[in-house]
Amino acid sequence: MRTDAIPVHPLPLTAEQAESMLQRQVKKHHIAIILLHWFNAIVWFFELLTGLALISSPLFRVAPRWYISIVDGVFGTRANMLQFHVALGLLWIGVYLVYAIFGFRTYLSKEVLRNEIALDLDDYRWLVVRTRRILGLTREALPPQGIYNAGQKLFAFMVYAMIPLVMVTGVVMAFRLFGTQVVGWAVVLHFCAVGAVVCGLLVHVYMGAVFPEEKPAFFSMITGTVNELYAYRHHFKWWTVIKAEEQAWNQQHADEAVAPAETARPGSSSADREPGCPG
Amino acid sequence: MARYAMVTDLRKCVACQACTVACNAEWDVPAGYARTRVRTTPITGTFPHLASSIYVAQCNQCDRPPCVEACPSGATSQHDNGIVGVDKSLCIGCGFCLEACPYDARYINPATKKVDKCDFCVSRLERGAEPACVITCTAHAKYFGDLEDRQSDVFKMVYAHGARRLETSTIRVGPNVYYAGEHASTDLVLAAFPPRPPRLLAAGQAWSRVLRPLVLAAAGATFLGQAVAFFNQLRNGEKDFED
Ligand code: HEM
Repeated sequence: MRTDAIPVHPLPLTAEQAESMLQRQVKKHHIAIILLHWFNAIVWFFELLTGLALISSPLFRVAPRWYISIVDGVFGTRANMLQFHVALGLLWIGVYLVYAIFGFRTYLSKEVLRNEIALDLDDYRWLVVRTRRILGLTREALPPQGIYNAGQKLFAFMVYAMIPLVMVTGVVMAFRLFGTQVVGWAVVLHFCAVGAVVCGLLVHVYMGAVFPEEKPAFFSMITGTVNELYAYRHHFKWWTVIKAEEQAWNQQHADEAVAPAETARPGSSSADREPGCPG
Repeated sequence: MARYAMVTDLRKCVACQACTVACNAEWDVPAGYARTRVRTTPITGTFPHLASSIYVAQCNQCDRPPCVEACPSGATSQHDNGIVGVDKSLCIGCGFCLEACPYDARYINPATKKVDKCDFCVSRLERGAEPACVITCTAHAKYFGDLEDRQSDVFKMVYAHGARRLETSTIRVGPNVYYAGEHASTDLVLAAFPPRPPRLLAAGQAWSRVLRPLVLAAAGATFLGQAVAFFNQLRNGEKDFED
């Protein structure tokens, strides 16, 4: 098997290359993450729906009166609505706890945090170019991105920072812990943390569900895979990593394909072989 | 609709605390807390011209209750009959209402960590009984009834016999507990236990004045930015690649 040199910069593709990359799917999301993402999205939908209606004081409320009346009506009483909000919130915390207990070794690694949250130089440049492009100031190409682009990384960082805050303040209110002063601030922090996430969600949901160029990303949150062309065009640095892994895998399998003949001879090892011979 | 009110006749009250005991028993008020309490003003004047008055404190079910506005969740609300009720199942114990009440008529129950206060024994009213403090008052100093009913005792006490609300020139939230008696006595009560300006906890102030506008502005700006980007996209037909 021939191993192509992996390009360092995105190169123009021929029509056939593009077509064949379009036909190939590469794995992006683990099923556990897909399930968590949609569970989380559904929970947020209902918690926002009821949460907005729970703040009824004219001093603090953000939803109009008619909205609050409708949601009150759906639940019959406001007490039912609060109970629903709290019960769903506790379920949400429970599910995250299970993920945290079984998943922290996988997801709390330095590598994951570096790839999915930390911004590198290309990411900072991406943010600038992206903003200028949106404002119509430039048509410059976007700098290459890893598995998530800089916008997604910022969103993820905010979400991962705010979710624990929402959980803790929610529990403080639900069980009225630590006295009135603490509960009073918990209400306010709960509101602000959710507000920050909602701002991010406006962009996130638009990008995920509406923006045409990100269609493959949307389906990746269902099937777990994206086509290779999308990976190449939108997440080039990630694509080079997949490519390198693929080549390493192919190499290994090619080795194994020749191995049987050699296993008959004890003492031999693959290191004895000439490098680069397979293929 | 009724407009419930209570009148306490300070001339008849002997400060026996029967009302407090009845109330505590009726509502399982924990020791050290109270929905109603009988207090006395400090003695003023020089012997032999001394003066003091009794004051029976409780929630005033105000016409313009500051506690209702302060309650984020709607646990505290004003009923059509004027009674300010607390829906315990909605209370999150944030304490905003305690600070708001000019009469300090509320407390947080340490067992439930939820707020509690006098509600004119609304559950007794529903079964046709009078408030516990009214029926137990040994001196018959307490009157309860509907201010919109011209035949009621409270109507007569308020409109014929000049029972007073405890209001000052600055704090006028329309209390519906009235005090009958010598003007001098009610003046003493007002001097000793005047309503204070409603307060909003720092958390509430930050929320109402700074953070709510900030979050709304941020969400609005993001939404607008998103819309602009969307229309730019439509107009330019910008597409990085065809898939
Ligand atoms: C209808 C609602 C939603 C849609 C359509 C949606 C769509 C998506 C899609 C398509 C992806 C994959 C992006 C990619 O692989 O490039 C994704 C990732 C993600 N979603 Fe959502 N999502 C929704 C709601 C939410 C909510 C409510 C949250 C959290 C509060 C959330 C948090 C995330 C995070 C943290 C990621 C990881 C990647 C990133 O930071 O963008 N999503 N979402």
